[in-house]
Amino acid sequence: MGFAQPNPVPIAALARNRAAVMEELRRLIPRMGEQRKPLPLGLAAIDSHLPDGGLVCGALHEIVPETESCIAAAFGFIAAVLARISSPPPPGPRLRAPEWGREQQARLPRTPPLLFVTPAHGLRPYRPHGRLHGHGLNALGLDPARLILVETAHRKETLWAMEEAVRSAAPAAVVGAIDTLDLKMSQRLHLAATDAGVPLVLLRPASTLESSAAATRWRIGAAQAARDRFGLVTQPRWHLQLERCRNGRPGQWVVEYDHVAHCFSLAAALADFSRARGAGEKSIKQAS
Amino acid sequence: MNEAAEAAGLATGDLLADARAKAEFLQVRDADPVADDAALRRLALWATRYTPTASPWNEDNGADGFFLDIAGSAHLFGGEEKLLADLASRLQKNFGLSARLAVADTPGAAWALSRFHKSPSCVLSSGQEAAALAPLPIAALRLKPETRSVLRRLGFKTVGSLLDKPRAPFAARFPTELLRRVDQALGRIDEPLVPVVAPPVYHALRYLIEPIFTHDAIIAHANRLMQTLVHVLTRDDVGARALRLCLYNVDGAVEIIDIGLTLPTRNVSHVARLIELKLEVLAATCDAGFGFEAIGLAVTCAEPMPARQTELTSAADDGDRTERCASLIDALRQRLGPHSVRRFEPVASHLPERAEVLPPIDGEATAWPEPEQKPRPLLLLPHAEPAEDVTALVPDGPPRRFSWRGVTYDITGAQGPERIGAEWWRHREPKPTRDYYLVEDSAGHRFWLFREGLYGRETAQAQWFVHGLFA
Repeated sequence: MGFAQPNPVPIAALARNRAAVMEELRRLIPRMGEQRKPLPLGLAAIDSHLPDGGLVCGALHEIVPETESCIAAAFGFIAAVLARISSPPPPGPRLRAPEWGREQQARLPRTPPLLFVTPAHGLRPYRPHGRLHGHGLNALGLDPARLILVETAHRKETLWAMEEAVRSAAPAAVVGAIDTLDLKMSQRLHLAATDAGVPLVLLRPASTLESSAAATRWRIGAAQAARDRFGLVTQPRWHLQLERCRNGRPGQWVVEYDHVAHCFSLAAALADFSRARGAGEKSIKQAS
Repeated sequence: MNEAAEAAGLATGDLLADARAKAEFLQVRDADPVADDAALRRLALWATRYTPTASPWNEDNGADGFFLDIAGSAHLFGGEEKLLADLASRLQKNFGLSARLAVADTPGAAWALSRFHKSPSCVLSSGQEAAALAPLPIAALRLKPETRSVLRRLGFKTVGSLLDKPRAPFAARFPTELLRRVDQALGRIDEPLVPVVAPPVYHALRYLIEPIFTHDAIIAHANRLMQTLVHVLTRDDVGARALRLCLYNVDGAVEIIDIGLTLPTRNVSHVARLIELKLEVLAATCDAGFGFEAIGLAVTCAEPMPARQTELTSAADDGDRTERCASLIDALRQRLGPHSVRRFEPVASHLPERAEVLPPIDGEATAWPEPEQKPRPLLLLPHAEPAEDVTALVPDGPPRRFSWRGVTYDITGAQGPERIGAEWWRHREPKPTRDYYLVEDSAGHRFWLFREGLYGRETAQAQWFVHGLFA
């Protein structure tokens, strides 16, 4: 399976004809722009920090939990980003018979699906951390009906499934959990994602240090959740660390995620745990 | 009983000692009906090259042969006699079997003739069953030994002696089996055949002059078969939902590749790609051996698929994406196995571990309800794991500290309880009630803990469990 290069331009042949070169470039540039259409996180502090004003769609992104116990936070960040990938606008009137293929259409969700590729035995260095819970995804604002789960038996299958899914350009995004990944393989995946314009999000183990072709690498840590005045958890908070960013600078933020509005915001009162704790005790007393 | 045994004078039913005395070269093995059955199935699969409906005989039929329904396929071989000759020579050449073959209008008559006719291969013309069966012994009717022995005692030696007698006394005296077998042999009632593989809706088969070995050759031939099938599928306005590729090895083995499709399709290249994926997986286990001499492609499940106009307006079409999505799912299923591509489906249950299932993708996605205002973890542990050293201010209050997987967590905030009762209608003995708490430790890890059992009512010493992790 070779890589489909995006229409190599025979510059040498066209060199004599400047107008033709310009024409060819004009044809290519909008396509590049389309592929590099970013996915903003909806938080000005981060979006302005990222070189493209958001996560690039056709690219590889790595998500790494800070420690093994932060794996749920890493999954949560992925779910939050995916929930922000909006569904396409409803189709307008079409030149087709009204009863055409309604059954076939109804069989699959209209919004493009999201694909999760996970090894059946879990991510290698971790002890089994459980599996995604549909109701938990629902509570984070990600419709579980959009998800397609792919279980693979070993690493080779995981890589194949991710590449196949990205190349088909059918899902809105592909998420894969993989333990080790060499530079060459990551370049291959990145190219596939660039060609198809589909974001490929990789969940890597906490010990990941090696270089890769990914556009960004995020290290996600747990942070104390936002609570209301009764001490109830309202919004999850995560400690985001942009560890590596192509054409950009690293950065750190503590964000909270609003699962109803699908948007991130900077955590307000970071260290005000005493109030939350006091409120928690009050509610315990009321409960008992 | 093979020729060597017959020459030595052995007979079915001989005692082992007698048989050893007659032929000292005799080798003895225990009977293995399961392996015999499997071998017969393989042979019947091989015979699907003549017709899609091949039905191996069960115990009642003697379990030593198979029926082929050659109605409509005999002319492909130049008539019934030619088909029999071809079958006999191939059985002899490929398997070293000298077969007794018979063609008749009913399975019963064919069975009787194949066992008791003088010549090893005979074709009975239509309507001649009664005349042909009359001189044959009673055993030609596939009766149970006890029925046979009663008939013998009553003096019935041949089928003919039964046929001209009135039916009523037989019906009163014998089990229904006797008249049923007679009627089946004469074609008065139908005898359904159980095919070795489900009979296809559409079928295309190709015999090759030279055996083929390579994946490319197999795919090229499968492509052409699919092209012939597409004409028929288009004519009937249907698409294939399931396909079966049969590769007939020269040495008689049959390799079967099943292909399932998410949406009905008539796309040749898509089917070819799915076959290629499966061949890659099979490459490790399947051995082409001496090559494949015939290749068959069958549509086992077809669904309506009206012709549609291709879009003129937009390239990024919605239906196009649905199709791409379906072909992606097909490809993943083909390579990774049908159960490895799943989807979340909600179940109306309060118990978290029962509240959803992950069935393999098939058909429409079930819509999920609006999320409730109850906390639900993002990751659910496959089994609730016991939390140790749990301390709480009051016995039925929230925990303040617990250990899980060797790490101790100090809880700074707890929320709950959410009481979830056991589903008493599912279990005979009552299961304990659970009180769920969302707890957060000082580092911000959020867990879903529950205490099993109500103090005083259900248990004296409640046990704590970790059941999930929150984002």
